[in-house]
Amino acid sequence: MEIERRALNQAKGSSVTWWFRWFRQWDIQLMVLPALLFIFIFSYLPMYGVLMAFQDYQLFGGFFNSPWVGFKHFEAFFNSPDFWTVMRNTIVISLLKLCIGFPAPILLALLLNEVRNMMFKRVIQTVSYLPHFLSWVIVGGFVGSMLSTDNGSVNMLLMNLHLTSEPISFLSVPEYFWGILVGTGIWKEMGFAAIVYLAAIAGIDPHLYEAASIDGAGRFKQIQLITLPCIRPVIIIFMILAVGNILNAGFEDILILATNPILRDVSDVIDTYVYRMGILNNRYSYAAAAGLFKAVVSVGLLAIANRAARKMGSSLW
Amino acid sequence: MMKLSPGDKVLQVFIYLLLLLLGFITLYPFWNSLVISFNTGSDTALGGITFWPRSPTFDNYMVVFRDDRISQAFLISILRTVVGTVLSVLFTAVLAYGLSRQELMGRKFYMVFCVITMYFSGGLIPTFLLMREFGMMDTFWVLVIPGLISVYNMIIFRTFFLGLPAGLAESARIDGCNHIGVLVRIILPISGPVVATLSLFTAVGHWNDWFSASIYINNPDLIPIQTLLKQILNSNIVTDQLLQAIGSSAAAQDRLALMQSVTSKSLIMATTMVATLPIIMVYPFLQKYFVKGVLIGSLKE
Amino acid sequence: MKRMKKMPLLSVVLCTVLLMSGCGGGNNAAVQSTAEPGKEPAPAGTAAVATPAEGTTVKPVSFSYYSNYDWDTTEPWGDDSTTRWIIDTLKVNITPVQSSGAAETKFSTMIASGSLPDVIMMDRGANVERLRQAGLLVSFDEYLDKYPNLKKNAGEATLNMLRSDDGKLYQFPNWYTSSPNGNGGWLVNRKIYKELNSPKLETFDDLYAYLKLVKEKYPDVVPLEVGAKGRGIDTMYGGFAENKPYLSKANPVGNALESIFKDPVFIENMLFASKLFREKLISQDVFTQTSDQITEKLNTGRVAVFVDGDVANPGRGANSALRAADPEAGYDIIWPIHKAGLNAEKITPNNYNSLGWNVLVITKQAEDPEAIFSYLDWATGDDGQRILNFGRQGLYWDETDADGVPIQNERGLTTPQSEKDKEKIGRFNWVGNTTFIDKTKAKMDAQLPEDKQNWTTLAQTKVAWKTSRNFTEFVNLDPLPDSEEGTIATTVNDIYLEVYAKALYAKSDEEVQQLLKKADEDAERAGYAKLLKFQTERWQNNLSKME
Repeated sequence: MEIERRALNQAKGSSVTWWFRWFRQWDIQLMVLPALLFIFIFSYLPMYGVLMAFQDYQLFGGFFNSPWVGFKHFEAFFNSPDFWTVMRNTIVISLLKLCIGFPAPILLALLLNEVRNMMFKRVIQTVSYLPHFLSWVIVGGFVGSMLSTDNGSVNMLLMNLHLTSEPISFLSVPEYFWGILVGTGIWKEMGFAAIVYLAAIAGIDPHLYEAASIDGAGRFKQIQLITLPCIRPVIIIFMILAVGNILNAGFEDILILATNPILRDVSDVIDTYVYRMGILNNRYSYAAAAGLFKAVVSVGLLAIANRAARKMGSSLW
Repeated sequence: MMKLSPGDKVLQVFIYLLLLLLGFITLYPFWNSLVISFNTGSDTALGGITFWPRSPTFDNYMVVFRDDRISQAFLISILRTVVGTVLSVLFTAVLAYGLSRQELMGRKFYMVFCVITMYFSGGLIPTFLLMREFGMMDTFWVLVIPGLISVYNMIIFRTFFLGLPAGLAESARIDGCNHIGVLVRIILPISGPVVATLSLFTAVGHWNDWFSASIYINNPDLIPIQTLLKQILNSNIVTDQLLQAIGSSAAAQDRLALMQSVTSKSLIMATTMVATLPIIMVYPFLQKYFVKGVLIGSLKE
Repeated sequence: MKRMKKMPLLSVVLCTVLLMSGCGGGNNAAVQSTAEPGKEPAPAGTAAVATPAEGTTVKPVSFSYYSNYDWDTTEPWGDDSTTRWIIDTLKVNITPVQSSGAAETKFSTMIASGSLPDVIMMDRGANVERLRQAGLLVSFDEYLDKYPNLKKNAGEATLNMLRSDDGKLYQFPNWYTSSPNGNGGWLVNRKIYKELNSPKLETFDDLYAYLKLVKEKYPDVVPLEVGAKGRGIDTMYGGFAENKPYLSKANPVGNALESIFKDPVFIENMLFASKLFREKLISQDVFTQTSDQITEKLNTGRVAVFVDGDVANPGRGANSALRAADPEAGYDIIWPIHKAGLNAEKITPNNYNSLGWNVLVITKQAEDPEAIFSYLDWATGDDGQRILNFGRQGLYWDETDADGVPIQNERGLTTPQSEKDKEKIGRFNWVGNTTFIDKTKAKMDAQLPEDKQNWTTLAQTKVAWKTSRNFTEFVNLDPLPDSEEGTIATTVNDIYLEVYAKALYAKSDEEVQQLLKKADEDAERAGYAKLLKFQTERWQNNLSKME
């Protein structure tokens, strides 16, 4: 909208007024421009590196001595026999993470907000974000030993309850993998991600609750009528960012949880695939091509999500 | 205190139970790691350590703390976390405030300009060359400066700023405040929760970052704790890769024998604790900023 | 704020300039910058006096050293008494450059910015070859006669194998050897074996019967543990043919390498493994368990038979853990299980090669490569090996016997291991001579009292080393990873790993065969034949070099 308006102004030949307006708001511009220059230097200047995707990048030759090969690496990536499996897994895993993993921290924040005992609230809040600080290697070790067929606690429980007669090798069954992956991810990051929603809830004017309470709204109703609408902009923004991240289905978590090659049909996502095919083999250009593909699609998705979100009243730009 | 209806009471009980369960399953692995870090390595290797150490010891921590570089590394980490967080939150807030102003010309372009960088990156080597040309290799600032502006944090900041009542800033403007004044005197003071959140995110990011130091820093006096702990761990445990690499080389087992005197799992847990406990402690202190009821309403009038 | 206002234009100009020069940095001609890792100027005094210390040929030198492995940390030089002795006596000073867990990235940024360290420890193969092709390495040929230890110890044949295509030697081998070694094989749980009346355990049929018995009598025990990722199944392969250790993803037939998926020995091995897995005689967690979990099972005696590429090292820990609780318990190494009808003497599950583990290279960044070589050559000689592996003279040994074996002194015999750890002995031996160390260690062990006998050494000398075949002809078969063959190799490897797992989970023998057949076809389509042709050429080339 604004660009259109500006274009219209300029067409009218009123560029003088445009500059005039610009200089009148020099103080806000000055808050923004130095930071943008900083971003230009540290993010845009090195961006010539993306062109590596169109080269056969030679580490020893450097960027300027590497031959240009056009779309060779993109073709190799798209034509690889596993491409569609990889895309399917990427999208399915992402959508699962989006549908289940995205609301989880919001739910946690809402639950914590209902707690009256401050001590209890603080302790649970702190405890719930602890798993964020454990590396995936350690988390993988825990999940592995919990689900082990050999004295793993989950199998022991199932056996004792007579739900199964033979221990189940959970991490080797393709059908269970997505569930385990998404579940572990939620468990690990839910508490950390909830912090930002807690901050949003903390910013809500308490008078609103009082008013609602006087009107006879129960806690449930209050969540529905006050809390959720108030944190809606934050939720929408995170939703937009999450949609833009759909091609980032995961990497370290999958590498660590999907150790059994038999899971490859369900576990291989873009990042793990590119890691195996490109990075482990020093095929820098191949990895760069896949990265560029991901970036283009991500920004496209982001733009669509942003457009949709604008109709709901919040947008990134 | 508001009165609770019977339905609300049932809800309360349900919430407490659910959160208790959640608290248990998120605490247990951490607690277990802590317990294992205080257990002798060889005993840990027998398995079955759950809530309490079976063979208590400080040995694992001794291995970590006998390295005399560790206090220096802690200092570097604390310094970079404090300096990096303060500067980054400040600069990011300034940018976010500017971008939250409706009247800012070029706002949409600026936002897209920022968001692009979240997805397109030139990769490590061009970035590395840039840092080198700036003369930042082997300096403290390479740990701080590249992270000064976080687009992600800017977006969060901006979303919160946009949610504030518009009249707030305007009335201050009329009182003769310039924009910096508005940000510092009006906006930031009532943005306690989001400032606390983003400070926490940034601090955790700084504290946990081992990678940039391992690439940009060779001077042992500038190594932060996470990078040093990685080195200590590497020099004290036998990894699968090592076994595979030299497994067939008989004499190399001498080297293995040396490394095996502390078995890996307990030491990994000890380094994890040393690395994470200081930063985990930050959150409880920040929680007071999450206390409900920033009285925007009273300011609004 | 005012200062900031001036910044934009200035910075843009500055940055454009920097960008250009930054890109130039990708060129190898790039000048050394301040960013050079850990390079300290040599102390003026030592640099000027380039004369070797008395009694050695080592020229004084300071250099930077980088080990290109994520998991390797180089200990600080001069903090322990042995390296302190080297600084004081030989005037050799080393500045470590650490990978800190990001070796590949660090390595590529060092290359891209033209700031390589003076000495790099790395794997043989692709990266060394690329450094050489870019003209970044120093060749050793002119030093070989002046400093004779390497040539004398490793031998001309081994050095020939290490030579690059231009006929020059750029790689200093580490843990090279002239005698068989290996750690792989089979362990049995002593107590369970005895309780089951020690049945004959020589052939795979015996094994099958035994595992069945274990499963029946000890439901909580894993009958056969095959190590992380099922690596032990590769070790098992050596039992299905004579003199045929497992060769990764290829099968030598006559003068050519053929598809592993068609290899009858491989098929037979997979069929057998699949049968064991199907009948739950192998741990069902084979692909998902961590090494911690395996150690736990071994150390608590919950494994009846253990086969792996390395049983000698984990066996020692497990044996002593079990014996601590029960003197009757423990693990024993047995002669490798084999197919009925084969000659047990000719079963070789282990392989070794004379080149050893990895190599050191000296880059052109080094100011005085000859001095560095003189030090490395001293280090790989008998004097250097003794000092680097057993500590400086006067620490834990004062004198040697007639064979040059250090005789441990009082301190050496009584100091507990945790104290000895602080001396970091053995951590600086980057040019190991396996043959010398093995012989010396065996003799030093003999000086020890009976109860301190090393379980590992026994397992090795009794079985593992006797069942190891020389595989030197098969080294360096891998193509450059970013070449066409390299891409094929990655795909074939993927196919291999997947079919390997699927074959274990197969419901019947027919399914195993079908899976392997399918894998063979897939690999064929990916260009396996081309890869095998390439590897065959490399192999034949090796053979001609070794003559």
